[in-house]
Amino acid sequence: MLRLLSSVRLTLVGMALLCAGVLLSYNRPAAPLWWLVAPLGLLAVNLLAAIAVNPGINRQGGLLVFHLALLGIVVLAAVGRLVHLDGVVEVTEDSAFLPGDVQVLAKGPLHPMGFSKVFFVQGPFTVDYGPELSRSTTRSQVLAPDGAGRLVPMVVGDDHPLILHGYRFYTSSNKGFAPLLTWIPEHGKPVTGAIHMPSYPLFDWKQDNRWTPPGGAEIRFWLRLKTPLRADAAWTMDRKDSSGVLIVSSGGRRIELKPGQTARLEGGSLRFDELRTWMGYKIFYDPTLPWLFVVAVAGVGGLAWHFWRRLGSSGPERTGRAAGFSAGHGALHT
Amino acid sequence: MNALARAPELPWIWMAVAAYAVTAGVAVAGVARGQQREKVVLGMLLTALVLVSVGIAARWARTGHGPFLNMFEILLSNLFSLGVVYAFAYWRLPVLRPTSVVVLPVILLLGLWLLVLRPAGGPLPPTYDTPWLWAHVAMGKVFLGTCLLAVGLAGVMWLRRTRLSAWFRDMPPDVSLDALAWRIMTLALVFESLMLIAGAVWAQGAWGRYWAWDPLETWAFVTWLALAAALHLRLSYPISPRLGALMILGVFVLAFLTFFGVPFVSMAPHKGMI
Ligand code: HEM
Repeated sequence: MLRLLSSVRLTLVGMALLCAGVLLSYNRPAAPLWWLVAPLGLLAVNLLAAIAVNPGINRQGGLLVFHLALLGIVVLAAVGRLVHLDGVVEVTEDSAFLPGDVQVLAKGPLHPMGFSKVFFVQGPFTVDYGPELSRSTTRSQVLAPDGAGRLVPMVVGDDHPLILHGYRFYTSSNKGFAPLLTWIPEHGKPVTGAIHMPSYPLFDWKQDNRWTPPGGAEIRFWLRLKTPLRADAAWTMDRKDSSGVLIVSSGGRRIELKPGQTARLEGGSLRFDELRTWMGYKIFYDPTLPWLFVVAVAGVGGLAWHFWRRLGSSGPERTGRAAGFSAGHGALHT
Repeated sequence: MNALARAPELPWIWMAVAAYAVTAGVAVAGVARGQQREKVVLGMLLTALVLVSVGIAARWARTGHGPFLNMFEILLSNLFSLGVVYAFAYWRLPVLRPTSVVVLPVILLLGLWLLVLRPAGGPLPPTYDTPWLWAHVAMGKVFLGTCLLAVGLAGVMWLRRTRLSAWFRDMPPDVSLDALAWRIMTLALVFESLMLIAGAVWAQGAWGRYWAWDPLETWAFVTWLALAAALHLRLSYPISPRLGALMILGVFVLAFLTFFGVPFVSMAPHKGMI
């Protein structure tokens, strides 16, 4: 039984199945997971058995390290899938990240849901654009706790994540303007909050949103930006250079508000405090990442070592068919 | 004329392709006549490499970024890297020299293909501003170059079955070539694995995921798997050198499609991810 399980012929079957599984699942997000998991499981069992009984593999240090690393990668990737989280969140400028706003796109069944511990404050950001709206570097300033728990300024980008409690926050193309509003009801306490306009500049033509204040009627908002979108030349999206009027419509009335102005509406009044922005982050959690890297590099190191040792030895190969480099008429040393 | 003004690298690239053509011609004629003129071939190869380098530098100066972006640039950089790997092997491993009959025409074909492409450029996406790009690309290039060395040996093993067999009289027997070729394939596997690792690190930084089975990742993985399967096939069955040579060609074809087929279909190296 162990013989069969450890057979390299079984490895070939496993590899063929894995190849089929990969080709079947590629470009098909809804493909069943077992198309990949089953061949990988078979290969893992096969490899464990081979390591246990096959001297071809367990007596050759480099090869052993390489195959153990393969096993390690499969195990780590599996653990990673079990605990991972993929999500997105929009954070308003000058506000703290709110865990409740996270939209979870996918997560493993064992994900610890630790993002309630995450805290950072969103600052301003800039995004460089080339001609034809090709998005380039994003620099999103945040205040986040350092190792000692002090809030320090950091700059986050598409490829410079903010890493807090293992959660990686990457900036994304999803970001926009967020008018800050205060609703002052006729009775009761004022509330202040921001509404996020659709992503900019993607939805430049559709900067609108709606909101129903407590005790009031639904309000519709349009943001008319002062500087029109530039698609012909390079520019930088920066709140400092952006201003606009907020068009408010409710109960058949339409009012234009500049920052600081107030409109009386049904049930209370609405103040347009200022124009802010919001940044959309991609969130990625997978604590196995550094381990995957270390194990993969160690594995390749093992393979390189195996190659190197074979290179130097003139002994016959295990398969006994040929004698390698040295038979190549002293090929390497000429 | 207009195109020349817009792409000053073109004359250098044309000259480089011409130099590769002459090198291939001299190499084939030499092997056919039994006197290889190795110094001339190596000198011509280095000349071609210098010309490609100047072409790449001119383009780099014009576009402001290295040749990483589109098909034109990928072919151009491979014209350089495959040439470098082969020139090094040609110099250090004399046993490989007659493989120039196979290898140089393959590089020349890439050069001819390059000539029919538009030298258009584009802005480099911000995600390309990382040392992992260099690691990934360099490892991929060495992988393909190493694979091509084995393809040279595989080609010789097949040409020996034809009327041209006399050309390779002085080379070691097939069993030795086969062993050497598979050693080289193991080395190719080392570089391919490094390419995948560097690519995954880059993808994590650039797109917030280390692996997502996009077309390029999928085909690169299938190539890696095919190479692993080929190595294990040799361990478990008595594979003849000629069949082994076919397997090497098979792996190379997969690698070739990954490098030059997938970007061709999907425009940007990682489709939709930029
Ligand atoms: C998953 C199940 C696997 C098993 C059971 C397995 C088993 C083995 C065994 C028994 C050897 C024998 C070495 C010898 O006798 O000299 C070997 C060699 C080797 N394996 Fe695997 N292997 C597996 C997967 C892989 C994978 C996925 C790769 C990926 C590339 C790989 C790469 C290699 C290499 C490069 C060699 C050395 C070949 C040579 O030196 O000619 N193995 N493997």
